[in-house]
Amino acid sequence: MIEFQHVSFAYEKDRPVLRDLSFRIERGEAVGLIGANGAGKSTVMKLMLGLLQGEGRILVDGTEVRRETLGEVRKKLGFVLQNSDNQMFMPTVYEDMIFAPLNYMVSREETDARVDAVLERLHLEYLKHRHNHRISGGEKRMAAIATILAMEPEAILMDEPTSALDPYNRRLVINIIRELEQTRLITSHDLDMILDTCGRVILLSEGRIAADGPAEEILRDRELLEKHRMELPLSLMGR
Amino acid sequence: MNKMQKALRELAEMDELAARTSPVHALHPAAKLLATIAYILVTLSFDKYDLSGLVPMVLWPILLFQISGIEVRSCFYKLRIVLPLVMAVGLFNPFFDRAVVLRVGSLAVSGGVVSMVTLMLKGLFSLMASFLLMATTPIDSLCAALRKLRVPKMLVTLLLLTYRYVGVMTEELAVMTEAYHLRAPGQKGIHISAWGSFLGQLLLRSMDRAQELYSSMLLRGYHQHFHYVDVKPFRSRDALYLGCCVMAFLLLRYVPVAQLLGGAFVR
Amino acid sequence: MHMADALLAPAVAATMYVASGTAAGISISKLKKDEDPQKLPVMAVTAALVFAGQMINYTIPGTGSSGHMCGGMLLSALLGPYAGFLSMIVILAIQSLFFADGGLMALGANIWNMAFYGCFVGYFLIWRPIMRSRLFGEGRSARRGRIILASILGCVVTLQLGAFSVVLETSLSGITELPFGAFFALMQPIHLAIGLIEGLITTAVLLFVHESRPELLQDVERAEGESPRRSLKSVVVILAVVALVVGGGLSLLASSNPDGLEWALFGNAGEGYAENMGLDEENFGVSSQAADTAAGIQEKTSFLPDYAFSGSDSAAGTTVSGVVGSAIVAGVAVLICLAGGFFRRKRKSGQP
Repeated sequence: MIEFQHVSFAYEKDRPVLRDLSFRIERGEAVGLIGANGAGKSTVMKLMLGLLQGEGRILVDGTEVRRETLGEVRKKLGFVLQNSDNQMFMPTVYEDMIFAPLNYMVSREETDARVDAVLERLHLEYLKHRHNHRISGGEKRMAAIATILAMEPEAILMDEPTSALDPYNRRLVINIIRELEQTRLITSHDLDMILDTCGRVILLSEGRIAADGPAEEILRDRELLEKHRMELPLSLMGR
Repeated sequence: MNKMQKALRELAEMDELAARTSPVHALHPAAKLLATIAYILVTLSFDKYDLSGLVPMVLWPILLFQISGIEVRSCFYKLRIVLPLVMAVGLFNPFFDRAVVLRVGSLAVSGGVVSMVTLMLKGLFSLMASFLLMATTPIDSLCAALRKLRVPKMLVTLLLLTYRYVGVMTEELAVMTEAYHLRAPGQKGIHISAWGSFLGQLLLRSMDRAQELYSSMLLRGYHQHFHYVDVKPFRSRDALYLGCCVMAFLLLRYVPVAQLLGGAFVR
Repeated sequence: MHMADALLAPAVAATMYVASGTAAGISISKLKKDEDPQKLPVMAVTAALVFAGQMINYTIPGTGSSGHMCGGMLLSALLGPYAGFLSMIVILAIQSLFFADGGLMALGANIWNMAFYGCFVGYFLIWRPIMRSRLFGEGRSARRGRIILASILGCVVTLQLGAFSVVLETSLSGITELPFGAFFALMQPIHLAIGLIEGLITTAVLLFVHESRPELLQDVERAEGESPRRSLKSVVVILAVVALVVGGGLSLLASSNPDGLEWALFGNAGEGYAENMGLDEENFGVSSQAADTAAGIQEKTSFLPDYAFSGSDSAAGTTVSGVVGSAIVAGVAVLICLAGGFFRRKRKSGQP
């Protein structure tokens, strides 16, 4: 579904953020992308979405990410931003949800049906006509996910989906992520959440892949994690 | 509570009022907007001495307040801005215009006093009218109505987006202001040494925010076109409402209702 | 200096709407030609920022009071005149719609008084010529100097023009008995002070931006190979224009020569006016001290002669019926309110 082939990127010359990155994510996989601050996690996402252009080849569902294919690629990828306020720019949740489908020429009826289906599935019907600036942080995050689901993307990228959420809302978000059947790529420092939601983990360090494998294995490796400025997930500490 | 928090609360209150349901809320936003404009225009067109002609104009907003179920007093808070301004200008009238135009019993009233009161009532009435519009119409339907009335799309979209971020920015500044005053007790405002950086910091951050916001739009297929919520079609009921309102305003404008009413009781 | 609906006659309000609408139309077509899709989110976020920024209290050194910013110059320096103008329109619209700050009908006038001058006059006649000139020489500190000069001059001049428009619009609407010259003499000096403060705040913010991200400011970094289009001469021309505006105001002030009573009035009411115009909103309110003082003077000077009880009531003519009728209307209004309240209670109690 998503493939990086020898991808490098630098904001400034001589200071590469990503160095010769190669990996492949299969359809339906849930992958956690972890790493310390500045390891290049969000750069990976931005490259995939075509917000940044680097060296090397990136394939999304067989299509290479290039200027000409941006529309096609972006339609397949749904990106949930860390700051929901920046994602939800319309006055109401409903208007934000119809924004993408209507842009992609989905009919009005079908869009409305999608919106209702997504809201029902996430048990968020009560949010439909609420104003984005009048709902709580947790509701906003859930609504942001709903916005992306209404796009019906083939893969969903999430940037810190559980940051600044209380335990209850964090659990709700985790449950939503677990129930999705799309390909998922999630960056986070919340390793417990990664453990709960992802089968595979890619550990980035200084622009390179330091480890790539089953989540249970990598997240249990105290030595590896601490070497790359991270800690064991709390749920694994006792064992 | 600082000024920004007060503003946020005021915005929230308007939102809550507009989210209610009533026959007035159900009307087409374009009909409400046009009726409001007509009302204010007619109100402003009264002569500065035509106090008795102006007074019956109060009936329309009062009636709407009652039908929409919104308390009249809920708009009085907003008078704090309009009234002092109008007073500042109107207060001069009694000094410069002392010709007696009216005697009630043994009380003589000068033209200046009449024109001052007229001015204040005009301020009060037009405030009530626009308050009613916003208290019964959510911003998104108002924007849809503006589109229908051919206001350029760029302006309407900008209004919508700005309204959305007014809340976000005001909240950020409210937090910053609070943080500032916690570290600078006893200071009433922002000290001159922080004049630039206080807003400047937020401004730089806002530019990054705008960048991210734009990415979010792009990633969802934005190509310079915004989709609005469809407003209900303009039905005959809405046309009837608008027609009746305009007729009533013209009637009140050209028929001296108060004069006639009074004439029935006083010879 | 938000105008209220009540201060305008319909014809004046409509004229100002047409004028502002034309300027908006030009701005929109210019922006469409630029085809910069990213501009819209930047405009929205900046406008929201300025909206919130207007509520900041800036302590004015050496005084107990605080100043505020209106933001026209700031917006045009950051976004350019056209985008700045549209952003300002949206700010004023939100203020009038949600906060009753300026009215729905006065919006056209307010856009003209605050946005048009700040963005178009401020940008084309002051900001751009000064920033593109070689004034103060080359280099970073020269640029700083130009920013300071352009911001302060821009704010002072545009606020003077705005205040003058307020006077003009109010007088043309014929709602005040205050003579044009006296009103003018009252408004201009106050807005000289307000403009200076606004200029200083704008300067501070723009200098901060210049330090960290100079590329955000219009016309600050000249394009490679582009020679400065304006010279010192044009700056002198601008200064002359400013001098004319200020000087004209002063001479008018002198020629109107109001008598002692009027001067006393202006002294008191001027204070209240400064507050209402945004110098200090903390003391805002119907019962502000200045309003009380003015009312007190009014009682002494005008109440006694004009409200004197006259001996005969035979003069009470047709207008008495007007008074009685108005009272009846007021009664009806109260009845409507009571009826509404009654039905609401009934419906509420009817619900389980």
